[in-house]
Amino acid sequence: MTAQPPQDPQGEQPPQPPTPGDPHEPSERIIDTSSGRPDGLNKCPRCGSTEIQYSLTAKALVCSYCRFAWNEDVAEQRFGLDSSIAELRGHTLASGTADVREDLTTVTLKCQGCGAEVVINVEQEMQARCHWCRQTLSINTQIPGGAVPDAVLPFLLTREEAVERIDAFAGKRKTFAQGRFKQEFVPENVMGVYIPYLVVDGNMHAVLRGTGEVTTRQYTVRRRVGKDQYVTETYYDADVYAVQRAFDLLVDDLTVESAKRFDADDNARATNNILSAVQPYDTENAVVYSSHYLKGFTSERRDLNVRDVDAEVEDKFLAIARSKATPTISRYDRGVRWDEEGVAVHGSRWVSIYVPVWLYSYADSAKGEGSLVHYIAVNARNGNTMGSVPVSHPKIFAVSCAAGTVAAVLGALAGLAYMFM
Amino acid sequence: MHPLLAEIAADPSVAMLLADSGDGAAGIAFPFLAGPAVFAAVYIGIYRYYRNTDKRHEFEKKTDVAVGNLRSGDRRVGTNNRQRSRTMSGQNSTDHLERVRRIRVE
Repeated sequence: MTAQPPQDPQGEQPPQPPTPGDPHEPSERIIDTSSGRPDGLNKCPRCGSTEIQYSLTAKALVCSYCRFAWNEDVAEQRFGLDSSIAELRGHTLASGTADVREDLTTVTLKCQGCGAEVVINVEQEMQARCHWCRQTLSINTQIPGGAVPDAVLPFLLTREEAVERIDAFAGKRKTFAQGRFKQEFVPENVMGVYIPYLVVDGNMHAVLRGTGEVTTRQYTVRRRVGKDQYVTETYYDADVYAVQRAFDLLVDDLTVESAKRFDADDNARATNNILSAVQPYDTENAVVYSSHYLKGFTSERRDLNVRDVDAEVEDKFLAIARSKATPTISRYDRGVRWDEEGVAVHGSRWVSIYVPVWLYSYADSAKGEGSLVHYIAVNARNGNTMGSVPVSHPKIFAVSCAAGTVAAVLGALAGLAYMFM
Repeated sequence: MHPLLAEIAADPSVAMLLADSGDGAAGIAFPFLAGPAVFAAVYIGIYRYYRNTDKRHEFEKKTDVAVGNLRSGDRRVGTNNRQRSRTMSGQNSTDHLERVRRIRVE
């Protein structure tokens, strides 16, 4: 997770080619990103209170007693996740990416204040109040339930700013919106949600092979098609080339969804592509996990492991390779058809992260269970807004018919003019 | 330009309609081509503007990537003459998400 200056594929200062890793080197390395605190009390560093909440005004954790404000360290720097991508070998996994245990639903916390034992449902929340001494108890360790990431990107946009953006987005799409949506649209119902992503760095070598064509001649031929009718046709001659490109790629902070229900390619139940479209996130600024950041927001548990998304990530690496090869094939004016592609990943680094989204969800109340959930989402770091508004098909049909009819009439007039000219 | 008009203008059927007017087709066909094409363009344009089904994060272009050590191996293998199309058949250099045969790379 370190910023590398992008270079032109034909640039003059390419990074050193990766050499195959030492066979004696371990192929998997774990970086411990735990906070070091035991479960239980997570105190204010100044006064020792556990009444702490993330403040959107201060953009920091704020102690409710002494008003001390602070943020956790930036995770990249604290855990050395910003070391050079070119030096990555094998799998480097931050400890928050460990395989998820589906059976882990409750954790018993021992209150260090009074000794009471408090059971917490970690599928729902990461904090609970001790029922004896009223102190706030937190999950501070990386329990393998998928709910504790390596790092958190805190919210920057306030609820009011998000409501304004969602209102403006939907306001531009009222004319042909479904009637019930217009009646039931209440942007104030927006929720602050932390969505889990896996962030991947990769050091790889890519090879692409295909065929390209260069135009060598363009000419027109006049051909007789009737007694006195001729048509003019344009033809192209081309040289055909076998094309190959091989290059090294250092990919920095590729993000991939790590909760099944937010899979960007599955829009059957919800418009998940909307959540993908509000990216990017400044993942390099993510801070070390603390459950205090989650208080007042909802968070989705990670339920996909590294090996579940490994193939998807390799496809994404290949897509990046194809995209980066484009400037190198500009001489092929008739295009290139890639037939074969491959990538050798010499090293990768995986970090789990929570990103902040203000999310407005709408499901048609008349359709009941199973109705498509429409999202309007606001990236709570940079304000990118995208959404899906349910449309009224009869209204679009009517206006399209009207436009089609006008076009047909104009076409008829143009046709008549064409025939009698 | 209004975003809705931009969506409609970007629709391929609109370009098809405009192209039709110069290809020598009989004038009688004009209304039968123009009507359905504009109907489809307006319907698809409004639907996309509201539902944004085509929107996604273009990770292949927006992810921070350093590229280097490029090696090209191009050689001429023949000719393809007297072609009607301006572009080669099967051209996929801009379809970055379309996967092709996977090869093993060392």
